[in-house]
Amino acid sequence: MNIPHSNRRRFLRGMGACLSLPAFEAFSGKAMAATPAYATTATGAPQRMAFIYFPNGAIHDQWWPKGSGKDFTLGNTLAPLESLKHRLQVVSGLAHANAEAGNDGAGDHARANGTFLTGVRVKKTAGSDIFAGVSIDQIAAQHIGKTTRFASLELSTDPHRKSGGCDSGYSCAYESNLAWRSPTSPLSPESNPRLVFERLFGAGPQGERTANLDRRRAQQKSILDFVMDDARTVQQQLTHRDKAKLDEYLTGVREIEQRITAAERFPNPPDPAMDTPSGIPAAYDQYLKLMFEMMALSFETDSTRIASLLLAHDGSNRAFGEIGIAEGHHSLSHHRNDPDMIAKVARIDRFYVEQLAGFLTQLESKKDADGQSILHNSTIIYGCGNSDGNRHTHSNLPILVAGNGGGRLNPGRFLQLQDTPMCNLYLNMLDHAGVPHLDRFGDSTGRLADI
Amino acid sequence: MAILLTPAHRISQEQTGRSVRSSDIPVPVSRSLFISRLPALLGGLLTAVPVLAAGQDASLYEKEIQPILAEHCFDCHADGADKGGVSFDTAGSMEALLGKTDLWVHVLKNVRSGLMPPAKKDRIPAADQEKLLTWIKQGALKLDPANPDPGRVTLRRLNRVEYRNTIRDLMGIDFRTDEEFPADDTGYGFDNIGDVLTTSPLLLEKYMQAAEAITARAIPLVDRVIARRTIEAGQFKGPGDQRKNRREIALPVYEVADVRSEIRIQEAGTYRISLDASVVGSFAYDPGKAKATWFIGDDVVHEEAVKWQAEKKLVSTVERKWEPGTYPLRLKMEPAQGWDARPSEIPGDGQPWVDVRFRGAILEGPLEPEHATRPDNYARFFPESGIPEDPAARETLASEIIRRFSTLAFRRPVDDRSVTRLTGLALQTMQAPDGSFQKGIARALTAVLASPRFLFRMEDTLPGSDPLAHPLLDEYALASRLSYFLWSTMPDAALMDFAARGELRHQLAAQVKRLLTDERSREFVRNFAGQWLQTRDVESVSIDARVVQARDAGSEQDLRERTAKRRQLNAAIDEAEKAHDEAKVAALREEMTALRARFGTRRIEFSGDLRGAMRREAEMLFSHLLREDRSVLELISNNKTFLNEELAKHYDIPGVQGDDMRLVDLPPDSPRGGVLTMGTVLAVTSNPTRTSPVKRGLFILDNILGTPPPPAPPNIPSLEASEKSSDGRELSMREALAQHSSSPLCSSCHNRMDPLGFAFENFNAMGLWRDKDRGEPLPSPAGQLITGEAFADVRALKQLIVTERRMDYYQCLTEKLLTYALGRGPQPCDIQAVDTIVDRLEGNGGKFSTLIMGIVESPPFQKRQRSTP
Repeated sequence: MNIPHSNRRRFLRGMGACLSLPAFEAFSGKAMAATPAYATTATGAPQRMAFIYFPNGAIHDQWWPKGSGKDFTLGNTLAPLESLKHRLQVVSGLAHANAEAGNDGAGDHARANGTFLTGVRVKKTAGSDIFAGVSIDQIAAQHIGKTTRFASLELSTDPHRKSGGCDSGYSCAYESNLAWRSPTSPLSPESNPRLVFERLFGAGPQGERTANLDRRRAQQKSILDFVMDDARTVQQQLTHRDKAKLDEYLTGVREIEQRITAAERFPNPPDPAMDTPSGIPAAYDQYLKLMFEMMALSFETDSTRIASLLLAHDGSNRAFGEIGIAEGHHSLSHHRNDPDMIAKVARIDRFYVEQLAGFLTQLESKKDADGQSILHNSTIIYGCGNSDGNRHTHSNLPILVAGNGGGRLNPGRFLQLQDTPMCNLYLNMLDHAGVPHLDRFGDSTGRLADI
Repeated sequence: MAILLTPAHRISQEQTGRSVRSSDIPVPVSRSLFISRLPALLGGLLTAVPVLAAGQDASLYEKEIQPILAEHCFDCHADGADKGGVSFDTAGSMEALLGKTDLWVHVLKNVRSGLMPPAKKDRIPAADQEKLLTWIKQGALKLDPANPDPGRVTLRRLNRVEYRNTIRDLMGIDFRTDEEFPADDTGYGFDNIGDVLTTSPLLLEKYMQAAEAITARAIPLVDRVIARRTIEAGQFKGPGDQRKNRREIALPVYEVADVRSEIRIQEAGTYRISLDASVVGSFAYDPGKAKATWFIGDDVVHEEAVKWQAEKKLVSTVERKWEPGTYPLRLKMEPAQGWDARPSEIPGDGQPWVDVRFRGAILEGPLEPEHATRPDNYARFFPESGIPEDPAARETLASEIIRRFSTLAFRRPVDDRSVTRLTGLALQTMQAPDGSFQKGIARALTAVLASPRFLFRMEDTLPGSDPLAHPLLDEYALASRLSYFLWSTMPDAALMDFAARGELRHQLAAQVKRLLTDERSREFVRNFAGQWLQTRDVESVSIDARVVQARDAGSEQDLRERTAKRRQLNAAIDEAEKAHDEAKVAALREEMTALRARFGTRRIEFSGDLRGAMRREAEMLFSHLLREDRSVLELISNNKTFLNEELAKHYDIPGVQGDDMRLVDLPPDSPRGGVLTMGTVLAVTSNPTRTSPVKRGLFILDNILGTPPPPAPPNIPSLEASEKSSDGRELSMREALAQHSSSPLCSSCHNRMDPLGFAFENFNAMGLWRDKDRGEPLPSPAGQLITGEAFADVRALKQLIVTERRMDYYQCLTEKLLTYALGRGPQPCDIQAVDTIVDRLEGNGGKFSTLIMGIVESPPFQKRQRSTP
C-alpha cells in the first residue's frame, strides 16, 4: 500500500539517496588538475573541514569521556555519538587564552565567540572600529577555496538579532559571526535554509535550477563592469574612512567576478531531486536538522570544502520549550552548582549533540569515490569558546574533532592535552588541507604532535 | 564671565593643603598650534585676560581649575589614589593631562549628572561647577563655538529597513529584506551606524541578486495585459467560515461548510474564473475525507474528493461570457465523517488534521484584446503613450527614463557619463535576439540598484570660502539626511524639488513638520523608539508565562512536578501503545485526564497579540507626543496610555473593549503611564522565567538617565543565578542581590542599578502587576537614587526622573537621537550641540519639536567635517 508522505518527510528521508556523486566527478575532472595538492586526501578524494559552534560552554563532568586514549566511554552529553565513536577524538586541554578577560573586563561571551576561529584578542568596541583577525576557515579558503564553486560556506541557525548593544560593550559583530575574511570584515552567515539551497544549486523547481544559475551569471557579468567603474569613480572623491567602506564593496564585486570566472571552470552543479526548502522551519530541531542537511549537501556535491555553522551565539538565552526547559540557556549556564540547573544545561548540551549526531551520521553514510565515507574524508570541529559557562573560563574547552581527515587523523581516542592553544590544532588542520606552511596562527605555540 | 576670575573663587593651593606637582610638569615652550586658536576658544572664559602667551592654558588650569579638583576630587583621584581607575596626576605632563579627552568627558558627565562627587560628599559650589564645566568644554576639549566640529560620519550603507523602504518608494514593490538579507550589525544601540554597517561579499552578492529580482518584479515587460483581480477569501461568508483571515479560510474535512460571495461585472465580455484553494495536512497521517464542490452561479464547475495530501491544489479554471451584473460564487464542503471520528493526538507529532485552505477566486477579463489595459507599475517607468518604434526616439526615451530614474535612485542628479554608459547597457539588451525596450531598461536599472551610489548615502558639501571652516552639506545630502532620519527612506519629490532649487535650508522647519505629519514618519517611531526602548524585541523575547506566574504564586515546585508527571505519563502511554497493551493505555489515559482535571488545562500564555499590543502601546504614545508636539517628559510620566481590550485586561484597567488601540485615561492611582511601566519595557528587561531588577535598573541608567555603570568586572558569575544560599534555601531576589553586592567591588555599581530595578518588582516578567514573589509579599519598592534623591514607589521614581533628574534625561534622549540621526556614536565634539538642545528643551518644558528641530539644525546634522589634508 502506498503510504502518503508529506513533503518534509520525503525531503528529509530522500535527501542523500537522490543525489548522484558529483564529488567524484569534481576531483577527477579538469578542475582539480590545476591544484592537485589542495584539500585532497592521499587517495585524491576531496578533504573537507567544518567548524560548528555551540553556545555557553558545557557541563564538564557530563561532557568528558571516562578513560583515556583508545580506551574510553563517552559521557552523557556525547552519548548520542556512540555509533560513531571510532570517528571521534574528544580533545581536552585546549584553550583560547585570548578570550580571557585580560585588560578588557567583562564580555566573555563576545570574546568566546569572536576568538573561536580567529584566535586573536578582539578589540573591545561597541561599533566604530571592530577588529578581530582573519579566521582559520578563511585562511584555508584563500588557499583551497578555488578548488570548489564556493570558497567557503557560512551558516547560522540564530537568525534573530537583538536591538541595543551586545555583550558588555562589544559590538554584536563578534557574536553573530564566526568567519572573518579580514580583521574588519566578518562574513555574515546565512540563516535561511532556502537561501542556502538556492545559492548552492539555483532557484526554482528541479530541472530549472541550472538554467537559472546560468542566466543569473550572465546577467551579473553585464552589470559588474558598470558598477566596478562606478565604484572607482566614486571612490576617488572620498576621504580615507569612506574609501575603506567602498573598498568592502569593491572587494565584494571582485569576488563575484572571480566566482563567475571560476564557475566557468566547473561543471554544472548537480540539481538535487528534492524540493527547495521553504524557509526556516518553526520547530527548532527541524531547523537545525535542515541546516545540517544543507552543510552535508554542500560537502556531498563538492560545492565547497570549508563550512562553518553558528548554532547559536555565545550568551544565547534561548529557552528550550521543546525539551521542557523554560529558562534561558544563558541564565541556566550560570548555575552556581545548582543540580537542577546543571541538569538542564546538560540536557541542552546533549540536545545540540543529538543534532550533530544526525549530521555526522549522514556524512558517514555517504561514500566518496575512494570508497571512504565523507566523514572519513573530513575534519569536523564541534566546540565552544566558553569552557565553563558558570565561571566564564576559556581553558580546557569542550572540543570534539570528528572525522579521519582523509586518513591524516587518528580518531577513536580521548586525547588529553595540557593547556594547549586551540590554534595549535588549527595549524595541523591547515597542514592537512595542503595550505602552505604557516608559522603561527593566533596565539599558537606550535603544532599538536599527535592528532 | 569675568566673575569666574574674581579672587573670591580662587582657591589657592595652600588652602587645599596640597602641593600639586605642577612644578614637576614641564610646560613646552612651543605651543604655536594651540595658541593660534586660543583666543577664539577661551574668549568667553578669559575676558579678564586680554593677551595669551605660551603655556597659558596650562597656567589657567593651574590657577582656576586645579584648585576645584583638588578640593573635591583629589582625595580619591590623586596622590596614589585612583578610585575607579581615575586619577588626575598620573598623566606624566601637563600637556598629556590636558590632552586626556576621555578623562575630561568623563569628569564633565559625572559632575553634571551629580554622580561625582558622591552623594555623601560636599557638592561643588554652583559657580565653581559652572567654571569647571565651561573650562572642560573650551579649555580641555577645545570646542570652538565659532566653528563647531560636526564630527566624522562614515559613509553609510542603507540598512535592511532603509533598503526595503527605498525600494518600495522607488520601484513600487515590497522586497522582503528581512528574509533576503543578513541582519545588520548594531553599534551604539542602533542598526544604522555607518562604521558598523559592513558590506561583506555575501551581502554584495545578495545586493546583486536583489537588484535583478526587484527589476524583474517591478518593471512590466509587456505594454498591455488582461485585467486581473482577486476575490479574496475574506469576502466569502457562510457556515464554516469561522477560521479565516482576509486572505484565507481554513476548512477542515470534519466540518460542513458552505461559503459564498459574488462577482460584480461592469463590462460585458469573456471572463476567466480560477479557484484558488489547496489541501494542506499535518505532518502525521489523518484519515479524514470530504467532498469539496465549487459553484459559479448555479453550475457545479468542480468537484473533488479531499483527503490527506501535501499541498494538493484544487484546480478549476473556466471561462464565461458575461453581461454586466452580479454572479454568485460558492464553495461547499461535505465531510465523510464528523469531528467525533477525528484521530487523537499522536505523541511527538501533535494533532493530525486535513484542511482545504481556500484563498478565494481569481478573475481575469474581459479577455478580448481590445479590453487590455496597462500593467501595474507601467506608468512608473514608461510613458502612458507607449514606446515609439523609431530607433532614435527609442534611444532618446531610454536615456530620459534612465536619467530620471537614476537621479531618484542616487538621490542627486546623475552625471552624463553614467547616463551614457547605462543607456549603452540598455541598448545592448534591447538589440539582443530576445531583447525588448523594457528588458533593456530593466537591465540598466538593475545596474543602478547595484551601484554604490544607490547602496551608500553619498554626501557632497557646499563650497565654502574658509578652508578651515567645516563646510555645510549640499541640499541633496540634507534632503537625504532628513528623509532617512524621519522616514527611513529616500527623499520624496517635494524634498528633491526644494534641494534642486537650493531652498531646502530655508524651508527646514516647515519641511520637518511636513515629514513628521506624513504617514511615513511611523518608520521613525518604529526604528528609533523601537531600538531606544527595545520595543522591537518584545515580540520575540523568550518569556515562559506558566513558570512566571507559578513563581509569583509560589507554586513553581508544583508546576515542575506536574510537568514531570505529565511527561512521565506521556512516555508510559507511548510504551503501552507500542506494546499494544490496550488496558494499560486506557488506565494511563484516565490518569492523565484526572491530572488535567485537577490542575485545569487552561494554558496561560504571553500571546503574540498581547506582545504586539505592548509594542504598539509604546510606539503609539511616542508617536502621539511627537505629532501633538507635547513634552518628551510625558514619555516617562503620563496619566494616559494606548490600550486595547487585551492589554487593558493585562493591566487590570476596566472599560476598554475591542481590538483597536486607543488613548485611555488611566485611573488616578494607576502605577502605569509612561514607557517604564509598559509591558514591553518590563518584558524585554526580564529573564524567561523571572524579573531581573539588574537589567531593569541598567535599562534606566543606559537609556533614560544616560549614566551607565561600567561593565561588570570579568569572571563574576551572573548574580541572577545566585538564588540559592549555601544551605540550599531559595533566596528572594533581594536577598540574592544583597549577597551578591556585599563586596565593595560589586556594590558601587549595584547601588546604582538595583534600587531602580527593585522599584519595578511589582511587575512580573510579563509586566503583570503582582504583590508576591515566590508566594511571599514583596518588600517595599522604596529606594534611593545614587545621587541621593529618595522615592517611595515607582510612581515617585518616575516623578523624580521628570523633575530632579530631567536634565539627565534630556541629555540622554538628545544623545540617543543624535546618534540615530547621524548614524555614528556620540563624540566629544557633540557636547556643545547636545547642550544647546538640552538648554532649549529646559526652556520650553521639553517640547518634542524642539528636540527634533534642535537635532536637524545642529552643526553635526548640517555640516560635514572638513577633510584633513
